[in-house]
Amino acid sequence: MHWLSKRKYKIGLLIPTLLVYSVFIVIPIIIAVGYSFTKYSGIGKARFYGLSNYIRLFSDKVFWISLKNTMIIFVLAFVLLLTISFLVALLLNNRLAGADFSKALVFSPAIIAPIIVGIIWVYILDPNIGIINNVLDAIGASSLKHKWIGGEVFSPYSIAVIYFWQQLGYLVTIFIAGLKMIPGDVLEAAQIDGASGVQKVRYVIIPMMRTTISTVSVLIITGVFKIFEIVQQTTGGGPNHLSETLVTYSYSMTFSSSDYGYGMSLATFTFILSLVITGIYSRITREKEA
Amino acid sequence: MVSKKKKTIMYLIMILITLVVVFPFLWMLVLSFKSNSDILSSPLSLPKTLNLDNYKNALHTLDFIRLYGNTFFVCIISLVVELIITFFSSFVLARMEFRNKKMQKLIYGFLIMGLSISPFILLFPVYKINVLLGLRGKIALVFPYVATSISFNTLLLVGYLKSLPSEIDEAAIIDGCGIWDLMFRVILPMTKPVIATIVIFNVLYIWNEFPFASVMLRDVSDYTLSMGASFFKGTYTVDYGGIVASSIMIIIPELIFYGIFQKNIVEGMTAGAVKG
Repeated sequence: MHWLSKRKYKIGLLIPTLLVYSVFIVIPIIIAVGYSFTKYSGIGKARFYGLSNYIRLFSDKVFWISLKNTMIIFVLAFVLLLTISFLVALLLNNRLAGADFSKALVFSPAIIAPIIVGIIWVYILDPNIGIINNVLDAIGASSLKHKWIGGEVFSPYSIAVIYFWQQLGYLVTIFIAGLKMIPGDVLEAAQIDGASGVQKVRYVIIPMMRTTISTVSVLIITGVFKIFEIVQQTTGGGPNHLSETLVTYSYSMTFSSSDYGYGMSLATFTFILSLVITGIYSRITREKEA
Repeated sequence: MVSKKKKTIMYLIMILITLVVVFPFLWMLVLSFKSNSDILSSPLSLPKTLNLDNYKNALHTLDFIRLYGNTFFVCIISLVVELIITFFSSFVLARMEFRNKKMQKLIYGFLIMGLSISPFILLFPVYKINVLLGLRGKIALVFPYVATSISFNTLLLVGYLKSLPSEIDEAAIIDGCGIWDLMFRVILPMTKPVIATIVIFNVLYIWNEFPFASVMLRDVSDYTLSMGASFFKGTYTVDYGGIVASSIMIIIPELIFYGIFQKNIVEGMTAGAVKG
């Protein structure tokens, strides 16, 4: 083998990948961070602006709204997805006839373009033509009608629910893969010792699924910071930026308002925030294990 | 061991969950046969006839042949480029000898790091770089798509290539194979299953991708499918029926694709997550 492992082969074969990766992933991140310290409107040259963009974040109302919305989506999606996808995985892991078919159907939203996911849910949540409010009207529960999207309050919660719908089957599949890795004799031993179903889950399955649970958690955390199309389609961040998330706000500042420096400071902040939350999460879980 | 009653409850919950997840799709299908005024005035009513007007309108407004064509075009070029370059680099990282093992690990780690990078921080800088390189229109999407696939492809390819026994290479070399023969005629054919997963996963990614497309594509004639889907927001200000029908024409091929390649899709999506 090693007479083929010549240096020139190694370098020659590695360079195309390293080049594309550097030019289109690594350098862009550096550029983004760089722009975040400038004032730039796309015309002329970017002007060095020090920390002003970051200071502006703190006094920017819309920034706080989008941070709050992002956190609402994050917490709600995290709780819903982690618990329910785990429970559904436990259910579908039983040998039920049709479980595979059900799994395939539940997975399907994850493969649809997110932009279409947004469109689909407009027809469910829209205050006027959406099915929810119309059903509430039809059963005489009009008092429960709300502006699920496009109002002032409910949009981030609705986004979390849509995201939940999109991701459920995907995470269920990952949990089932984790469940399959638990050796059967461990569960049998618990059974013989007289553990109830709940006890088995609490004392055997959850502890043995630690890695899978943290994988799923990290997927939810990073996933929430990639939600974009759903918000664009359902509310467009409106009304008055009230349903903006960090990602959509950064996008709109960059590409609609052409405030590139500020947009990049938002993007950088969002990027660092998602890394920090992931970091804190893995720290906590590691400490628990130790 | 599970009692009958318990089993019945489990079935009921399973059916309920499945129905709840599938319902939004079915609802779209129902709406697509209703006229726009019916959708607006009586949202809950069922269509009286199989009215295909919405589909006709959608076909009239959106040039589906072009949208599918553009998507297909970007997809093929991106896939060819990414497969060639990541196969090369993964081959080096998985099967060649490094005097400095740390270097090998470092390069691998560097390439895998991309899995945790959100595309949104890249949009504007990549747009700038494309302008600088003179890349415009749908071609401007190729390098971003290739670059964002590198981490995933490396993860899968290196993992798989490492699992092939090194005796294969030795035997091939003794038989007089050069490095190109070894890579293309011996190793590549064995890599088919993982390449299939990579291809299918990336096809789906490019098919659905919106953020990069929305930034790079200015000209309607360059639009890919996801851009087409967002396009009718402005065009049909009130034509909800047209939007539904267009969405269905994008969803159905995807669901068929999913039906055929379900195993590879699920494998790709979970492998990227679990191993990453």
